Amino acid sequence: MRSLTHRTRFLAVGTIAVLATALLAACGNSSGSSGSSKPILIGTSLSLTGDFSADGLAFERGYKLWASDVNAHGGINGRKVQLDILNDNSSPTQVVTNYTDLITVKHVELTFGPFSTLLTAPAAQVAHRYGYSFIEGAGGGNLVFSEKLPNVFDVSLPVANEFDPFISWLSSLPASQRPATAAYPTVDDPFASPQEQRAQSMLEALGIKTVYAKTFPAEVPDYLPNADLVASKKPDLVVLGSTDVPTVQAFMHGFEQQHFSPKLFIAAAGPDQGAAFVSAVGSGNASGMMVGNPWYPDYKNAASQAMVAEYVKKYGGSPSDVNADVAEAYSVGQVTAQAVEHTGSTKGSAIDSYLHSGVTLNSVQGPVKFDSLGRNIKAIAFIFQWQNSNYVQVLPVHATGSVPILNPKPNWTS
Amino acid sequence: MGTEVTHAIADGILGGGVYALMAAGLTLIFGVLDIINVAQGIMVVLGAYLSYVLSVHLHLNVLTGLLITVPVMFVIGVAIHWLFIRPLRGSERTSMTLLACFAVALITEGILYWRFGSNYVSLHNSYSESSVHVLGFYLADIYLIGFGLAVAAIAALYLILYRTTFGRAVRATMQNQTAARLVGIDVTRVAAVTFGIGTAVTAVGGMVFGSINSFTPNSGYDLISRLLAIVILAGMGSIGGALVAAVLMTTAEALVDIWQPDWAVAVFYLAMVIILTVRPGGLFGRRAVRAQ
Amino acid sequence: MLASPGAARSLRIAGVAALIALAALFPILFPNPTATNFGVVTLIFVAVTSAWNIFSGYSGYLSLGHAVFYGTGAYFLVVAARDWHLTGSAIFWLLPLGGLAAALIAVPVGLIALRVRRHTFVVITIAFFFIAQLSAGNLSVTGGSSGLLVPVPNNWDPATYNNPFYYVGLIIAVATVALAVAIRRSRYGLQLRAIRDDEDRAAGLGVRAMPVKLSALVLSAFITGMAGALWVYFIGQAVPQFVFDPLFDLAVVLMGFFGGLGTVAGPVLGALVLEPSQLWLNLQESNGYTSEILFGALFLVVILFLPRGVLPTAAEYITAGRARLLRRREQQQGAPGAQAPTPAAGSAP
Repeated sequence: MRSLTHRTRFLAVGTIAVLATALLAACGNSSGSSGSSKPILIGTSLSLTGDFSADGLAFERGYKLWASDVNAHGGINGRKVQLDILNDNSSPTQVVTNYTDLITVKHVELTFGPFSTLLTAPAAQVAHRYGYSFIEGAGGGNLVFSEKLPNVFDVSLPVANEFDPFISWLSSLPASQRPATAAYPTVDDPFASPQEQRAQSMLEALGIKTVYAKTFPAEVPDYLPNADLVASKKPDLVVLGSTDVPTVQAFMHGFEQQHFSPKLFIAAAGPDQGAAFVSAVGSGNASGMMVGNPWYPDYKNAASQAMVAEYVKKYGGSPSDVNADVAEAYSVGQVTAQAVEHTGSTKGSAIDSYLHSGVTLNSVQGPVKFDSLGRNIKAIAFIFQWQNSNYVQVLPVHATGSVPILNPKPNWTS
Repeated sequence: MGTEVTHAIADGILGGGVYALMAAGLTLIFGVLDIINVAQGIMVVLGAYLSYVLSVHLHLNVLTGLLITVPVMFVIGVAIHWLFIRPLRGSERTSMTLLACFAVALITEGILYWRFGSNYVSLHNSYSESSVHVLGFYLADIYLIGFGLAVAAIAALYLILYRTTFGRAVRATMQNQTAARLVGIDVTRVAAVTFGIGTAVTAVGGMVFGSINSFTPNSGYDLISRLLAIVILAGMGSIGGALVAAVLMTTAEALVDIWQPDWAVAVFYLAMVIILTVRPGGLFGRRAVRAQ
Repeated sequence: MLASPGAARSLRIAGVAALIALAALFPILFPNPTATNFGVVTLIFVAVTSAWNIFSGYSGYLSLGHAVFYGTGAYFLVVAARDWHLTGSAIFWLLPLGGLAAALIAVPVGLIALRVRRHTFVVITIAFFFIAQLSAGNLSVTGGSSGLLVPVPNNWDPATYNNPFYYVGLIIAVATVALAVAIRRSRYGLQLRAIRDDEDRAAGLGVRAMPVKLSALVLSAFITGMAGALWVYFIGQAVPQFVFDPLFDLAVVLMGFFGGLGTVAGPVLGALVLEPSQLWLNLQESNGYTSEILFGALFLVVILFLPRGVLPTAAEYITAGRARLLRRREQQQGAPGAQAPTPAAGSAP
């Protein structure tokens, strides 16, 4: 029976462990007085490991690049910025803990958003609770906007609209030049589904017959049966609702094996991942693949070009290696900087009213103007295409920098 | 419709072969050592990364590279068993080994993250894109190779088990450990070598896996759940049964893929649950499994 | 030294009462929301790990599919809150209903899964896990893969926002541990242990295995479902890949083992130590793989050197140490030729 008191004793040890941890958590730097020379502490949580880590790491680079650029130009209102980036391991429990810690313990003055709609939604609630403005670049799904929070601002294009220029282009073609049939294989994901559904309904209205429109779970290790099925229908157009490079690669392999090459092939994500995409599929095969994206490394915008040059200087590689996530993150920083400079304050309420006032701001992704839900209604969508190892802008047709579309897609090279 | 169904069945059979290849090591270890090696998923990924390193840095053909990766993984397997599994004893052995294997998986995943980061990579070789024309559709070369390797691996394992002295020792250990010890078999050595063989076979599975899919250190989780399902459905220790079980499940999944891909993965697991309800020992298991 | 069992028992009760009081005062002693955030998540895991232990620890059937019950409770709360238009503290009344939903699900799951043993059982629970996750992602009532939002109480004072969650969690956790103690001391608990030690022999001795196992699973599921409902309300959203998270199941198993499988205090200790550590590690390290390697290494250490978990092993050390001390003292008092009586080894908790 004596060992039972030992049990209680160990329970006490455990409680002490927790208290110690809580003390450690609760002890943080107090903010002190914010003098004009004190750096602006900006807190954010990113997925540096886990499901979203590929994008999380790109976002981290984007935030850090922005921070060093801003500081090189004297900071915001004369104050340098300092980033505090925590890892949420792609977990919503951790993301809530992280932002609570950043706000209540580290006493950051500003918060930047995390990666993914699925993490932005709970994180935004935390920021809202404490009166912080929440500017983000990767939470563009319905889950975030249906929270109807006044402090959320998504600087990037809403996901549903990413295929819009492609749809417009197809409607501008005479009916005889449009594809007759289309397939819409989609990953069941809040990023891919909205675009696909929108594209499907609008293209059907144009008279393009749907021969395949199925969704499949995101975590299937093998897409071969799905790809084979799509190939057997021989659609003229394939609109692939992918969220990453492996999905596109799997479908391309499947198509190649079935000796099927669609005349038009566009994906929601994957071809925009620069070098990662080309090395996965081969530059010959990549040619003709299209993707919708609000940004690309060669975007004809002075700030964007500068950012790309700095990225290459800092991280090496070539401009086409720059992931679109980097631009999203960088834009978050820029919009925040402009808001703080204009209002002269880092207070959430001040930034919120300024950003909701209908003002148009600049970013490396183009103009930014928010509606009442925090969506960027001035966001521009581009369609890009790989043409012989070059990633070029092709749509909208008359936008600056667009080159002619390669149509039809060249056959596979192996 | 008919071609689609045939094609799906063909895809299912070939896909099942690939899974069986990845599961072969798991089945062997399960049958002989009564251990569920939950690190099997990450071992496949490790095998894939080893093939990747050889292919990228030494420009070795992936099949030739197997001559290196298989022995390397054998050594790794023996080491894992010797260091982490062998010391475990007691009534909680089932759960303990489960946890030990999981710990090994965690550490391996962490090391892979540290060395390779979380970018997707894949094994590039000529087999990934070429195919063979058959019956009005095409069958991917890499899957045919994978199926062939699965059959070869299973045959090799059977050969070892039934045609060598060592194999006899292994079978004796499987049937009755105490009796095996009594006749002078070094049970611990047998266990270690078996674990090593199981891991070595996984090197081949990793190569095929990496040639079909892009992978990151995170890819182990989805794999292990499927591999476990296959092994349990096959029944304890039935290596050939793993092939049948794998083919059954992937074919069911491929067929459902034609109509409702969203439910196809669920069908994979449902098939297992249903069959286990009827035959709790698995398809080829030796009678019902008694509690230890 | 504690001489009488009566004194030992009173001390134990006093110790537990002190702990509960400390836990109740925690949000007042550490009002910082990050601290209470740690508290809420930790209490949820204390409840879930204890509940898991009531089934898996006591009966010996290792479940890796408890996320099914966690998720059922969670989704029930989200859907009910939406369809019945509830907000604020009223939503807390949905917690027991969520538990009930999970308990109902546990019946068919148990009837199928409990017919097999050991490894097969483990893998079947994994299969159920995936079926649940995929169903949640496909059915429209659960919002599909995009998930559903919970109406969070935005009008609560941010400084004490976490506190209601904390206290509800504390009530659930304490009740769960009390239940674990009650079961342990009852004939029912004895039957479970008999099943764990040798099910066939227990059946031969008259224990009706299936009803006993199933009821333990249902109880365990009820609590896990409540905890899941509390969690989803705290986080504010239900998304299939997070609600049904394989790492959740693994974490629960690890915590249970770390503290001592089958004990009462073991799962509590495991949750108290491991969950805050994991949260805290991520607040410090920006490379996640360090924590993975560390956790894996910690596990290997525990398994190799503390195979029955921290508590039982530590208890054994202390009891053995005491026995040695007593023996030495008796030898010093020199009764020539007398065998020093060794006190009964501390009964394995």
